[in-house]
Amino acid sequence: MSTGQQQRTLSDAALRLAEERSRPTVLELRKVGCAYEKGRPAIADMSFSVREGEILCLLGPSGCGKTTTLRAIAGFEPVSAGAIYLAGRLVSSPDTLVPTEQRHVGMVFQEYALFPHLRVIENVAFGLQHLPADQRKAQVRTMLDMVGLTELERRYPHELSGGQQQRVALARALVQKPVVLLLDEPFSSLDPDMTGKMREDLRDLLMHTKTTAVLVTHDHEEAFAMADRIAVLNNGCLEQFDTPEAIYHTPATPFVADFVGQADFIPGLVENGTVMTEIGEFPNQVGYQEGTKVVVMIRPDDVHIEPSDHCTARILARQFRGSENLYTIGLPSGHVVHSSESSTSVYPVGTPVELQVIATHTVLFEQDHPRKPKG
Amino acid sequence: MNMVVRQTFPTSLSVIALTVAGLICLPLLFIGYLALSADPSVWGRLWDTRIPELLLNTGALALGVSIGTLLLGVSLAWLVVRYEFVGRSVWEWALVLPLAMPTYVLAYLYTYLLGAGGPVEHLWQWWAGPEARVLSPYSFTGATLVMTLDTFPFVYLLTRAALLNVNVSFEEVARACGASRLSVWRRVTLPLLRPAIVAGLSLVILYVVSDFGAVSLLRYQTFTYAVYQQVTGRYDQTAAAVLSLLLVFFALIFLITERWFRRRSRFYQTTGRYRTSPRQPCGPLGATLITAYLALVLGASFGIPAWLLIQWTVSATAEGAVDARFFGFVWNSVALSGLAATAAVLIGTPLAYLANRWPSKLNVACLQAAYAGYVLPGPVGALAILILASHLIPFWYGTVLVLIIAYVVHFLPAGLQTMEPALQQITPNLEEASRSLGLGTFRTLRHVTLPLVKGGFIAAWVLMFLQCIKELPATLLLRPVGFDTLAVRVWLEASEEYFQLAAPSALLIVIVALPALLLLVSKDWRAA
Repeated sequence: MSTGQQQRTLSDAALRLAEERSRPTVLELRKVGCAYEKGRPAIADMSFSVREGEILCLLGPSGCGKTTTLRAIAGFEPVSAGAIYLAGRLVSSPDTLVPTEQRHVGMVFQEYALFPHLRVIENVAFGLQHLPADQRKAQVRTMLDMVGLTELERRYPHELSGGQQQRVALARALVQKPVVLLLDEPFSSLDPDMTGKMREDLRDLLMHTKTTAVLVTHDHEEAFAMADRIAVLNNGCLEQFDTPEAIYHTPATPFVADFVGQADFIPGLVENGTVMTEIGEFPNQVGYQEGTKVVVMIRPDDVHIEPSDHCTARILARQFRGSENLYTIGLPSGHVVHSSESSTSVYPVGTPVELQVIATHTVLFEQDHPRKPKG
Repeated sequence: MNMVVRQTFPTSLSVIALTVAGLICLPLLFIGYLALSADPSVWGRLWDTRIPELLLNTGALALGVSIGTLLLGVSLAWLVVRYEFVGRSVWEWALVLPLAMPTYVLAYLYTYLLGAGGPVEHLWQWWAGPEARVLSPYSFTGATLVMTLDTFPFVYLLTRAALLNVNVSFEEVARACGASRLSVWRRVTLPLLRPAIVAGLSLVILYVVSDFGAVSLLRYQTFTYAVYQQVTGRYDQTAAAVLSLLLVFFALIFLITERWFRRRSRFYQTTGRYRTSPRQPCGPLGATLITAYLALVLGASFGIPAWLLIQWTVSATAEGAVDARFFGFVWNSVALSGLAATAAVLIGTPLAYLANRWPSKLNVACLQAAYAGYVLPGPVGALAILILASHLIPFWYGTVLVLIIAYVVHFLPAGLQTMEPALQQITPNLEEASRSLGLGTFRTLRHVTLPLVKGGFIAAWVLMFLQCIKELPATLLLRPVGFDTLAVRVWLEASEEYFQLAAPSALLIVIVALPALLLLVSKDWRAA
């Protein structure tokens, strides 16, 4: 992909974002904290907002507090600090806890939690008891039609496949036209072969129904595929809140850099206004002072290798991944970088190679303060 | 050679199994024959005089106790599973204690507690004036109260286990759908608990309709009590057989309905992982109210009765009631129960072994036949054996042997239920490995199979032994003259209202029942 093309995609994303920014905010968390309770990770100082129709992913490793955040939004978890607003209404604060049933949120659990004693059609109609029967029936029919389950409406949950169960759970939540749809790891109980298709279907469905959604996942690929914006969480704190592209290309912290894809960190020194490293010079974009010790984040797709006899870097290993070859390159200093090459470029281990680093963004972190974000 | 061994060994066992199964089914068949070949006038007379009343009484008692145990069992399970308060885990465990109290013991204590001039009446008159009366224990209400207090732990135990297994996601997702707490309970939690509650209630109902001890002491006319009266009071075996057959018929219909319902409402866990609901902490007022409720139920069903038994035992001992005669009754109980349990294990082994190792139609049918004791309520089974013995083996009638046969027929199903899993746990490969190492069939059995199933068989023996100790109707009907057991003494003394004299035997029965109860419960406890 040429630099020009990349610039255009990024500006497209910026345009899209500007359009989205004009939409009203549906969900807002202001400095939310949940007190520590045994078995549940605490969260602290969590602030972000979701606009109408937007899909937000809460991304992070297990125990980072992403599910706690989701449950706080749903009203299952009281907050000990801050405030949560749903459609402009205060629903959670240390003094307020609007019960879940009055929040108009839709919830899809990791294991779907379909009522085993009710048929598909009864499961979907569960939240519509307040409607007259004919209206209820019509809405359920439309919903089942939309998720393609009309044929299976008389079945019980145990007679459905995992994917079908997920669609019932979605239909049950969406038929209530929730203010925000909350999804807790919706793909983790599915066969990995199916998740690609299911992701596409889910995204289409959410777009089609103009549903605002918050989705919890530990899988960055899932977050990239689904999200308009991603909140990366670690140890109960928000590390970065941005578009998937920005999260990948300009991570705010080394943790984010490492969590959303393979990254190598090469040490360097700021000299004469540029960053000098063993694999070349990089622009000192953020203006570190002369003599600052920094690390440069390098992604495998930024590094290209050419066999070259007079070079000191050597191939240490090759991992064939079908669509690409991932090379591990040993540098003379002992540091390691990875390079992603086309699946047909096969070089034996031990080959001396020349490195070409083509990065559109240079991501630098200070060596001594690896957690201090600069980018 | 191997083929020959495989052929002859099961064949010789099969003969034993077939004989045993036949013997076990014989009483039931004989009762059926006797009842169906009876003069139609006997049926007509019974239909005009007894049957409607007995049907109504038995049905009303079953219904009343079902409602009572449903309310008590479900509410208690809900409190101990969903709320957190001081002493919760002790209460959770203590609520099964009433199961250690045989119905006739509780009934006898309540004839004192609620009887004219009893402590409850005193209390009530002190509060409401000297003319006030309390409900009589000799009534529908009295029988319902006693049976409810004695059997609610069945519903409690099963509901508790089911509640612990309810995935809290179901309730959370229902609330996210906008359902209020009450509506979640009615539309989600209760339907999920329904199979467990129904299973508990069906245990209760079977227990109630086959109970003899409580209804006889409270003089409440049900089928079992009527059967006993026909035999002992009127010496009318045909009428007793007719009533018995009707009771077996209703029990069968009930069992089939229950099984059908259970199959229909079987729910499948649609997910692998589940989280249990967190316990809700209680304020001081809530904790006090809950504790008061639990104390009331447990006090009425176990605490006060046990305390009374201890008091009376102490005073009876001081008066010299615990004498050589008393220890004679203890010996009778222990020897009889020991013999019966041993016989049942010996008889049950070939049945269970064959049906699980060589599950041919015949072998499985033999095992199923052994379970027929289930549909024979205690007094009916005893009656059947009484009639059969007096016709076929009159020279053995009135000996201990007949009594042991009655025990085996009645308690073998319970024993088999414990023995079968023990046998199923060992794979046939182990036996085949032993055979490949040169051990013959019987040496394999001795050195491989028996050591592995020993634990399960001992548990089965203990279980049957303790149930024999408590057994009342068969012992009353079939015991040799002058041969009394602890259970019989309790019933005889209590019928004559010698409350103190009955206490030492009753207390001993309760104490002996406790470890077996804990053994049974701890199995379910871990599973849940």
